[in-house]
This record gives sequence, structure tokens and C-alpha cells, in this order.
Amino acid sequence: MASTAGNGLPEAATRRLAEGAWSSGLSVADFASCLDMGMQPVGYVQGYAVLQWSWYMTTGGFGMGLGGFGGGWTSSPQRRGQYVEQWQCPHGFVSAEHRMYGANYELTWLEDSWASGWGLATGRMVEEAKALGATGVVGVLDAMRPLVGGAMVEFSASGTAVVVPDIPRPATPFSTYLSGQRLAKLIEAGFAPVSVVATLSAVRMLGYCITHYQLAGSGVGTWYGQGAAGVSGVGPVDQVNRAEAAARRIARERVRSQLGTDLLHGATLERSEREIGEGDLSIQCTLKGNRVRRFKEFDPLPEAVPVVRLT
Amino acid sequence: MRLRDEVRQAVSALSASPGGADRAAGPHGTTSDLTIDETLLLHSAGWEPVDLVYGVSWWSIPWGVWQWTTGEVQEASAAFTGAVDHAAKLLRQSCEQAGASGVLGVDVGLRVSSHHVSLELTGTAVRRTDARSHHFEFVSDLSARDFVLLTRAGWWPLGLAAGASFVIAPRRTAREWAAQQGQNVELPNLTQALYLARERAMERMQRSGATMKAEGIVAVKLREGKASSSMRVIQFVAIGTGVHLRTAAHRSIAPEMVVPLDERVRLFEVKSLRSAGGE
Repeated sequence: MASTAGNGLPEAATRRLAEGAWSSGLSVADFASCLDMGMQPVGYVQGYAVLQWSWYMTTGGFGMGLGGFGGGWTSSPQRRGQYVEQWQCPHGFVSAEHRMYGANYELTWLEDSWASGWGLATGRMVEEAKALGATGVVGVLDAMRPLVGGAMVEFSASGTAVVVPDIPRPATPFSTYLSGQRLAKLIEAGFAPVSVVATLSAVRMLGYCITHYQLAGSGVGTWYGQGAAGVSGVGPVDQVNRAEAAARRIARERVRSQLGTDLLHGATLERSEREIGEGDLSIQCTLKGNRVRRFKEFDPLPEAVPVVRLT
Repeated sequence: MRLRDEVRQAVSALSASPGGADRAAGPHGTTSDLTIDETLLLHSAGWEPVDLVYGVSWWSIPWGVWQWTTGEVQEASAAFTGAVDHAAKLLRQSCEQAGASGVLGVDVGLRVSSHHVSLELTGTAVRRTDARSHHFEFVSDLSARDFVLLTRAGWWPLGLAAGASFVIAPRRTAREWAAQQGQNVELPNLTQALYLARERAMERMQRSGATMKAEGIVAVKLREGKASSSMRVIQFVAIGTGVHLRTAAHRSIAPEMVVPLDERVRLFEVKSLRSAGGE
């Protein structure tokens, strides 16, 4: 991003941040809670990044997961440890339309693009906070949405930069989705907020003949035998099950690789799926949460007292 | 320690090299989808989160089973049972690999389409804070709060108990159709299909509970209604947590009655968990 102010921020942003009243995205209750904790709001900071996802955006929506089998591999060198799994038809050559081979593979170019967009947006938000001399950013909100047409995607991140006076600032301001009372509880429990973390995993499944039959319901027990309770034609769709498990495993491992020995708190795992052709799927998982670090030994709370509210 | 001092201590810790203070995290960072309230409550009861775990299973349903028939669609019901068993097995494996004893707050995602049933189970694996070794004990869709209350009362979760049935209601005869035109009357064919699906699903769920040696099933969630694009296909799905009593008898948790004198919307001041004030 072009910068004229020497601090990584646009000149207009630098000028705006240097003057006038501070701003905050906190609710009134969270604002008051932060003041109680000794955190003073200094600015409502934001970061944006608009990415073009070009050649695979050939149809509506986000178009995520589109792109050919070869394209997925050739557009990005196979990353070390990239998930790839192949299946072979047991029938031999039947016809040109018969799916003799199937594969599950990780869409690393999609994952990298998403990580780039999200990282740019959150990084720019933290840059603004740093320019304000903030200790951290609380109440972070992030989003991804199509901006113009189907091929341009906007990543956004915003939060309230806060200062804790009279202590040295960390080299990089912390960031957290939490604010107010929930943040107070987190710290009282012995966890320091480090940063927001997120990842997208994407797995393409190109079904081979058996998977096609199963997803179309046309196997009728011929290919995969007796299933549960001896009911013909009923059985696990192995290739899809492997793809589903891989998407979740990749998301978890990738987030974990960002944690070191810190912890991921309050995680949310969202999954989406698109059928991109008969018997072909694209499965994506987004895993987000708060990276937190234990800064003191756990001090157990007294056993909670169950109560009945008489209201 | 005052909360403001703890905030300063927390911020200061960010300048230190990561990992040194964290004994519990082990070689990999812990991942959890629990809220901070749930984490604190579990800790107070002697449990801690270990890892975000999952089990997903798709099972196929053959072509043509939803048409030209009436009564239960055995293939769909069997596919549901297979998917539940398979997903629960994967969840358990994931829990054991994480070195945990159980899975809490399992989110159940069920989709039924013409040709497959898919079931997604996602939850947080937990373990006792004071135990050196951990063996698998339970899977539950109960929240951390419900788990703590349940165990305090002497009960223990065992696993997910589930049952489903998919029934195609018989068509009305021409005579029945004509007689019912323009009248507000019950449609016995659909009511009966709903009852048939209900009985089979509940029976299967209870059988599933008995298989895991549960004395009962709590927090049962029902999903019933139209199952497909056809208005004659009725589904009934029941899922809950199988429990058994670990103590000689049920223990009363004896809740205290409180009369709150504050207004929630005016709670501006942060409350410390250990003292009355925020500092």
C-alpha cells in the first residue's frame, strides 16, 4: 500500500490520527469496562485490503474453489506437506465419460490468497494502532465480502486501539476479538491477549466413479456392498469423508502453527461447501480465535454457586 | 491482586518470549471453542480444555428410495445411524489422540439430501487438571455449565444417543380427498406418518442409550417435519446425551435463591470475579 508518511500509513490517516478527539467502536458498557481495567481508548482503527481473485472466478458468488484440477496444482508449486490423495476406479476403461481417477487436494493458492488478504487487513489495523502509540486493539471485528462483481474481494478488520498508561508498550500491539467484561475475565483467569488468528483451509474433491455413484445414489449396493443394518446401497462416502477431515485438520494445524506454545481461545469453526460439478465438491473451513498467553499460574475460582433468580 | 495490576502484568508478559510460562499447553498450543465463562467454570470443577476436535461422516442413500412407496425409508434411517456411529467414532479417536478424557459442547450439524446424509460433530476435548493419565470417558452435546451441574448432581455423561426415521405418508384416496375439500380437518395419513416416524426415532435413540449403558438421555433435541421436496416425506430426528448415575443416589445441587437489585443494562463497571469491586 502506498505510504507518504513514513510510518506505513497513508498520509491522510496519519494526519487524521494526529488530531481531534479519539474514536472508539466499543459499546458504552464495554467502553466503561475498559476504563475500569485501566485501558484508555485512543482510536477506532481499521485495515482494509481488496484482492482480485482472477482466473478461477468464472461463475457467481465468491467463486471460491473453482478452477481446474491441473490449474490448482500448476498455478502454485506443491507446498511441502500439502494434502493430496488419489483414488483409482476398480473397473478399468469403461467409457470416455467414466471417471477412472479421483483426487482430493488442497487448494493452496486459495488458502494463500485468503491468508494474504486477511493478514493485510489485520496488519494494517495493527499498524494504525501502533502509530497511535497503542498497547493493543480490543473488540476486533473482521469480515470478507465481494466488493465489485465476483472477482474482487474485500477483507476488513477494525477495532478500538487502547493504551495502558505508565508501562512499556509491547513491540507489536496485542489484538483480540474480546472486549469489556469478557476481556477482564480472560485476564483475571491468567491469560494475556496476544493476537487474533484465523485461517482458511480449502480442499477440492474430484470424485472417481464410486464417489459419483454414491453421491448420485446410483450405486444401489453394486459397488459398495451392504451397509448399515444390512441395507443395500447404504454406506460411507469415503472420499468425501477424507476431504472433510482433511479440511478441518489443515485449518487446525495451520492455526496451531501460529500459536507456538500459546493457546487458541474462543475459536469458531465455520464450514462451507460447494458442488462444482456432478460428484465434485469444494470444501472450505475457516477457523478463527484469540491467541492468548498464560502470564501467571492458574488461580482456580471457588466452586460456582448455582442460583435461581427471583425476577 | 487488583484487576488493573493484572492488566499491566498481562501486557508486560507480551514482551517476554512466548511459551516459557505455559506449562499446560505442552508441545502444541491448546485450541478451544469454549467461552471464557465456560473455561473458568470447567477449571473450577477440575477440568481444562485440550483441543478442538471433530468427526464428520457422509453416508449414501440409494436412488429411488423416496418414490413409489409408503412407510419408512429404511435406507435413509440406516444411513443416518451409520453416519452418527461413524462420526462419533472419529470424534472419539480425535479426543484420544489429543490425550483428553471427553468432548463437551458438541455441535451437531445434520443434513439430509436425496442421496446422502451428512453429520458433523465438532466440540472441545477436555481433561482433568489433576490426572496424570487420561482415558476416554464421554462425548456430550451439553454445555460446560450443564456438564458441571450434571456431575455435581452425581450423574455422568456417556455419549451421544441418536435415532431417526424417515417415513413416506400414504396418499389419500380420491374419496378421502373429495371429502376433505374445503374443510378444516385433520389429515390422518400425515399425522400417522409423523407418529410412526416419532415412535421409531425415539425407540432407536433409547436403544442407542441402552447400548452405552445409559440410565437416561438428557437434553434431547428434536427435529421433525418435512424431509424433502415431497410434502409426503416426514422426518423425525432425536439426539441427546446418555447419562448414568455414578453416586448412590441423585444429589440435590440446592441452588440459592437470589433477588437481583441491579439492572443489567446499567452494569457499566467491570466486575471482578474474586472481589466485589472492579479493582
